[in-house]
Amino acid sequence: MSRRQMGYLFLIPTMTIFFAFAIYPVFRTIYLSFFEYRLQFGNLKKFIGLTNYMKMFSSERFYLSLRFTMLFTFLTVSIEVFLGLIFAQFMNKNYPGKSLLRVVVLIPWAIPTIVSGFIWRFMVDDIYGVVNGILLSLGIIKEFIPWLSQTGSATVVLLVADIWKTTPYVSLLVLAGLQNIPRSFLEAAEIDGANGLKTYLYITFPLLKPVLATATLFRLIQSFKVYAIVVALTNGGPANTTEPLTLFTLRTYFDAGNYGYGAALASFTFIITVVIALLFLNIILKKVDI
Amino acid sequence: MRQPRSDFILFYLFCTFFILLIGFPFFWQITNSLKIEKEIFELRWMPSRIILNNYKEAFIRQPLLKFLFNSSIISSGATVLALLFGSMAAYSLARTDIRGKRLILLIILSVSLLPPIVIINPIYSIIRSLKLLNSHFGLMMVDTLFGLTISVWFLTPYFQSVPMDLEESAFIDGASPFLSFRKIIIPIVTPGIFTVGILVFIKAWNDFLFALVLNPIRARTVTVGLKLYESDNYIPWGTLMAASVVIVVPLIVVVLLLQKRIIGGLMEGGLKE
Repeated sequence: MSRRQMGYLFLIPTMTIFFAFAIYPVFRTIYLSFFEYRLQFGNLKKFIGLTNYMKMFSSERFYLSLRFTMLFTFLTVSIEVFLGLIFAQFMNKNYPGKSLLRVVVLIPWAIPTIVSGFIWRFMVDDIYGVVNGILLSLGIIKEFIPWLSQTGSATVVLLVADIWKTTPYVSLLVLAGLQNIPRSFLEAAEIDGANGLKTYLYITFPLLKPVLATATLFRLIQSFKVYAIVVALTNGGPANTTEPLTLFTLRTYFDAGNYGYGAALASFTFIITVVIALLFLNIILKKVDI
Repeated sequence: MRQPRSDFILFYLFCTFFILLIGFPFFWQITNSLKIEKEIFELRWMPSRIILNNYKEAFIRQPLLKFLFNSSIISSGATVLALLFGSMAAYSLARTDIRGKRLILLIILSVSLLPPIVIINPIYSIIRSLKLLNSHFGLMMVDTLFGLTISVWFLTPYFQSVPMDLEESAFIDGASPFLSFRKIIIPIVTPGIFTVGILVFIKAWNDFLFALVLNPIRARTVTVGLKLYESDNYIPWGTLMAASVVIVVPLIVVVLLLQKRIIGGLMEGGLKE
């Protein structure tokens, strides 16, 4: 057997799984989005063109969900990247204790989102919550706040919980970028008399751009599919105001049994993901160079 | 470079702040898992008397042991499959002259970016028609898919870094490509495979969406199980915190033992351009 033949042979298991569980399902979802297809009516499918999409674009719940998802994505990613830049700067310092920092960073990353969601829910509980307790004893609030029963505060809690879990990981990615910058660049800048801020703005930051773009791409797409943290904390409430698209789609599929409409919602998420990916196309193409 | 004294102080201020910020939720989780209900309500920092009753309850109220067993089977199965198939694919991409490598890598990257919700219903239908809903194997296959995106992605550059001469001298000695894969490449890349295995395992262990949709009744995993402690109007916080400590302990132990490798792996993953 030649090397090339073996190469193809070795790809078969991976490619089979990819086709069966990823590529075919994507096309199947897009296909079903053009059909009236409900679980209650068995396998009966009726082609209805773009009706599901028209229904989607005239649904208030869809816009509510889309607005929440976009707000959540924009705020989490921008805050995480901003904090990540600052944190990485500290993590890059060469003092005793730096390895402890790096270990601490791993723990929020490693635990299931559903667990961190429940811990935060416990901390902001309106009866047992320690956050209320601390704020009350500091005199910031006068009585316990029911954090999760108001849209505004519930959104804040969701953001904080996500930022808490993911910023450490983003910091680690930025740190990798920082360590990749040749020391001689920074030393040369210092010899030329540039101060810390100038060096950072004109040398460090531009060299970090590829890493930042990669982190942003991955985080945008991850954040847009937010699900578990919401299920643990608010379950979409109050009154569906914190219901991300993934949760709305899942409920349409499995609670309402509406496979056609659910497929249109899922296809919408797919389109958004493709748009985000296209915005970062040069990075993606660089990554697949071999 | 010169390091002013203020820089040094700032660093330790930051460390304190950062560790408190990250550590507090975990501290709160653990301390409350050891308290009686009354002390949870009183927001005491430490239990006046450490009790293990919440841990007992965690195993009694729900079959937590079973959840742990299911998660172990599913995650280790997915890890083994993703490493086996993934190292084959990575070898093929890194060391052979097949056509369409860029396309294959593009597919792998795209799938790793693909939101699960896009594919979840067709996957549900496939698994249902295979009669694998509520089974270990069905969920394991799906976890293998996402595990493969990690393993192929990380292992391909790793395989590329093995010097070509090593294999060539084996060929001169008459070894087949398959033999050289098994006897030369695999032993060299074993440390890398090990690191990737940890990343795959953690991802599979932490999966919630597919576990919920595919295994809602039987073969439930720890993440799905955790949700069951909550009833309509009551959450036994002490018990829930105890259960959540139990399900993260294996992860934390692995992470602490193998931190250097994991950090290295994650940082390389971010840099790969």
